[in-house]
Amino acid sequence: MAAADSPSAALRRRDLCSRGIRLAGKMRADVVDLLDAYVEQQGLDASASVAAVEGVPLAAVERWDEQTGTQRLLENLAAYRAFRTLLAQMLEEQREQLGEADAGLGRALAAVLLQVSAFAYHLEELLRLESRGIPGEEEDGPPPPPRLSLFEQKLRGLGVLRELAQWAVRSVRDLRQLAKPSPATGTAPGLAESP
Amino acid sequence: MFSRWNWVACGFYLVLSICSPDASGGLVQSCGHIIPESPVLALGSNFTALCILNESCLDFGNIYASQIIWKIKNRLVPKEQYREINRTVSSVTFNDTSSLATPLTCNILADGQIEQNIYGITVTVGLPPEKPKNLSCVVHQKSRLTYVMTCTWNPGRHTFLDTEFKLRHSWPEEIFPDCIPKDVNNSCTISDIQFFVNTEIWVEAANALGKAESDPLVVDPVDIVKPLSPQNVSVSSGVLPTGLKLSWENWISDTVMTLKFNIRYRIAGDMNWMEVPSEDTASPRTSFSVQGLRPYTKYVFSIRCMKEDGVGYWSDWSEEKTGITTEDQPSKGPPIWRIIDASHSPASWTVHLMWKALKPFEANGVILQYEVTVRDKSSLSSPLKKYNVTSTNHTLQLPNGTYEVTVIARNSVGASPPSVLLIPASNSKAPVKNLRTVPKHDKLWVGWTAPNSYVLKYVIEWCLVSSSSDCIIEWQIALGDVQGIDLKGIKPFKCYLITVYPLYADGQGSGESVKAYLKQDRPSKGPTVQTKKVGKAEAVLTWNHLTVEEQNGFIRNYTILYKTIDGNETVVTVDPSKTEYTLSSLTSDTLYTVRMMASTDNGSRTGPDFTFTTQKFGKGEIEAIVVPVCLAFLLIVLLGVLFCFNKRDLIKKHIWPIVPDPSKSNIAQWSPQVPAKHNFNSKDQMYPEGSFTDVSVVEIEADDKKSFSEQDLKPFDLLKKEKSTSEGHSSGIGGSSCMSSPRQSVSDSDEGETTQNTSSTVQYSTVVLNGYRDQTPVQVFSRSESTQPLLDSEERSEDHAGGADSTAQRQQYFRQNGGQDETNTDRPCFERTKQITHANEGDLVGFVQLQISGQSSQPLGLGMEKNTQEAALSNVLQTCTEGQTVRPETVEENPLSVDEMPKSYLPQTVRQGGYMPQ
Repeated sequence: MAAADSPSAALRRRDLCSRGIRLAGKMRADVVDLLDAYVEQQGLDASASVAAVEGVPLAAVERWDEQTGTQRLLENLAAYRAFRTLLAQMLEEQREQLGEADAGLGRALAAVLLQVSAFAYHLEELLRLESRGIPGEEEDGPPPPPRLSLFEQKLRGLGVLRELAQWAVRSVRDLRQLAKPSPATGTAPGLAESP
Repeated sequence: MFSRWNWVACGFYLVLSICSPDASGGLVQSCGHIIPESPVLALGSNFTALCILNESCLDFGNIYASQIIWKIKNRLVPKEQYREINRTVSSVTFNDTSSLATPLTCNILADGQIEQNIYGITVTVGLPPEKPKNLSCVVHQKSRLTYVMTCTWNPGRHTFLDTEFKLRHSWPEEIFPDCIPKDVNNSCTISDIQFFVNTEIWVEAANALGKAESDPLVVDPVDIVKPLSPQNVSVSSGVLPTGLKLSWENWISDTVMTLKFNIRYRIAGDMNWMEVPSEDTASPRTSFSVQGLRPYTKYVFSIRCMKEDGVGYWSDWSEEKTGITTEDQPSKGPPIWRIIDASHSPASWTVHLMWKALKPFEANGVILQYEVTVRDKSSLSSPLKKYNVTSTNHTLQLPNGTYEVTVIARNSVGASPPSVLLIPASNSKAPVKNLRTVPKHDKLWVGWTAPNSYVLKYVIEWCLVSSSSDCIIEWQIALGDVQGIDLKGIKPFKCYLITVYPLYADGQGSGESVKAYLKQDRPSKGPTVQTKKVGKAEAVLTWNHLTVEEQNGFIRNYTILYKTIDGNETVVTVDPSKTEYTLSSLTSDTLYTVRMMASTDNGSRTGPDFTFTTQKFGKGEIEAIVVPVCLAFLLIVLLGVLFCFNKRDLIKKHIWPIVPDPSKSNIAQWSPQVPAKHNFNSKDQMYPEGSFTDVSVVEIEADDKKSFSEQDLKPFDLLKKEKSTSEGHSSGIGGSSCMSSPRQSVSDSDEGETTQNTSSTVQYSTVVLNGYRDQTPVQVFSRSESTQPLLDSEERSEDHAGGADSTAQRQQYFRQNGGQDETNTDRPCFERTKQITHANEGDLVGFVQLQISGQSSQPLGLGMEKNTQEAALSNVLQTCTEGQTVRPETVEENPLSVDEMPKSYLPQTVRQGGYMPQ
């Protein structure tokens, strides 16, 4: 916490929050665009119902406003690490299926993947500023996905992107909450309670 | 002998060992090699190479390291740089690699100075890369979703080596692929840029000599974005005539960045841009209404954007879009002025009303017409007169009076405020004071001091002064609170007449004028000077003023320069208002050259030279000389006349001797019976004997009349004989008739003086023809002496003489005469004498008479010829009878009978047929 009290740490935190908010906003906009392209390219129905993706925490949460900052950061970090893995898998499957036929979708997927990675980095930095240890990636990472059929891959991809869009919205809200001055940091004791 | 064969074998081996394929590897078996192999060296460093010989070559070829020589590109390396390490290794050292070149070869100098190459290497010299500097990156937006980042840097010095530059960027947990520049070494473009993450960017440069890395640039690419300019810009008219609405699209997503804008606009045709205040457009938007514009004006708009927080770069300006504001009613009335022409009739005016078209920003639309209203202020009952005019002038015929003229401009929206002009009966108000002009670049500033009264406006009139055309008036109105305006469109070197009228609320002030030039030059020509009057010591010069077109400025003065041919030039400065000047103190009778120079503030120009010559005498000098001379002459003449008058008797005696009129001569009636009529008596009285100093008397005794022709030569024979004593004294008739002048006869005479006296003076001579040897003189004849040549008369006389009595005798005479003329030209005296003596007595009388009568046909020359002939005859006689005494009485003793003598000189011989005028 001492580091968080220093002016430079506060500035750094504010900058990370600000940048993270904008990154999450852009990521959501890009994911929405990507969803449209993905549905069209994969021949899916945009209104198709997709089951929850395994390994990804749900963006929707009860008592969101009661969460501590650390809890928010840790949940976000766990979610985006899962998205990073899933998106990398999607990108690999995309290349296997289409090769270089649809480079635009692949580039868009790669761009979203980069943004997810960048956002995860932001979250890690914020956790460092909170003087919190960063959980190991292997511990929190999703289990290796079972071998799925092509259609199931497409549906899973659609589900991943939809959940990512949801998480992007939530992340903006979480970071805005974190970016608030003292009252937000006043929830610091909550951080201690988090595992 | 052995040694020689040994060396030949050695050389052969070397060639074989170099050229023949190796039995094992199939490659060239070299006798040695160089270490290092093809090095890359830093420029300026030192370098050592080793040449190592193979042992096999030592054994067979007897070659050792001491025989090694080094060469750089066929240039021998100095042996001071060699070092023999052992018998197979030689080294060479270079302290500065800049002296190195490719190839560096190791050679063997065998016996017999045969040089063989052992090995060679390529040496590359260069520099390690410098640290790249000034790295900067810009993210360019290429489309809605596409961004590329272009970074540039300073690669540093040239390395002379292949140097690879890499642009690298990374996140803390991820390193991205390198960007390798193509064809350049100072920039590279990275695609797939991700925003909102701090990215570390740096440049690596590497070559064979080293590697360098720039300072890293850590930046969020979103902070270095240069977005695309707003697209699809459009301009639309708003409700207000002073506003236009600008709309556009932003091509960058709000999720990436929010934008702020710059809007600039200008009036079409004007190059100066105006900008909407930046704080008005500092928030994200896609439209903006620009206010404060002029009605009915075409505007050009352009817009640009950048990240709202100002971090990053402005986009380029968008394409220009135009829009026109709507019309509004004219903002002001047209400036109005008038020219009053009262020359036709003093009771009425011709008023030329003129107004200026409103400027576009004043007209606020298209002016459809002007409404002119004229109100007679002197008569309240007179109705208003209205005129609708589409031009900018109107001419009115008005009686002399005071009028109020109003002009309104009207467009489709409405009418302008009225412009009012008061036309008074006279300009009696106070004028402006201290009117002056100052040139300012291409404008002429006109300033004045306001009168004491309040002035509504000022009207400034100006026109180009010309000697060939009328002044075309231009005018301008200035507000009453200004005291100077700039006149535009003024040409340099031209004279302008500027007049300023103050307009008061109740009338108009009189105009104040000034002439001005925007820029002056020297005159285009000089004045032509000439003289109006030239005297002995002064000359009045006159010239004409230069025309206003020739002046090119204000003529400050004239300068007269005059000089004599060899004298110094004198300079006189003359006031420019004068056209005449008198030069004084000139030298008389001297040629002067004068020229004239006109000067403005900016230079002078000289006119043509003019020359004149001063007079020799001044005015009255000639009169002062001539009048006294004339008076003196007249006085002398008068005195002479008086003297002559007093001495008239004496003068008359010398000048006009009494010459008897031959017509009244007694000879005509001469007869022995009337000797009393002969006036010899009087002569005797006038010239008593002894006082006749210049009269000769010749007595010739006439022989028998019939034998005269034969015997009359005798006395001349005597004369011939006497000529021995009197030779040179011959003169008189003979001389005169033979010679053409008395002077020539004088030349024949030895006694020139006497002859001259007798020829130059009128004498009276008496010829007495006595009878020859006591015979009765045939004739006494007296006549005056003359210098008239007698040749013609004598010839005529001879003709007559011949014709009077005997043709035969005359023919004989002519024969003799002709022969004598041909043979005795040197004896004129005797010839003449013969002619005379050939005639008989009657012939002689006839001769004389005919001679006179023949001359009587020439009345004007009568006297002179008579005198000359008489003088000549007397001379002859005098000469030939020198020493004889002449007595007048003898005349009376031998009178001729009246019947024998002709009574007059009338040409009786003509009647006789003996004389014809020749």
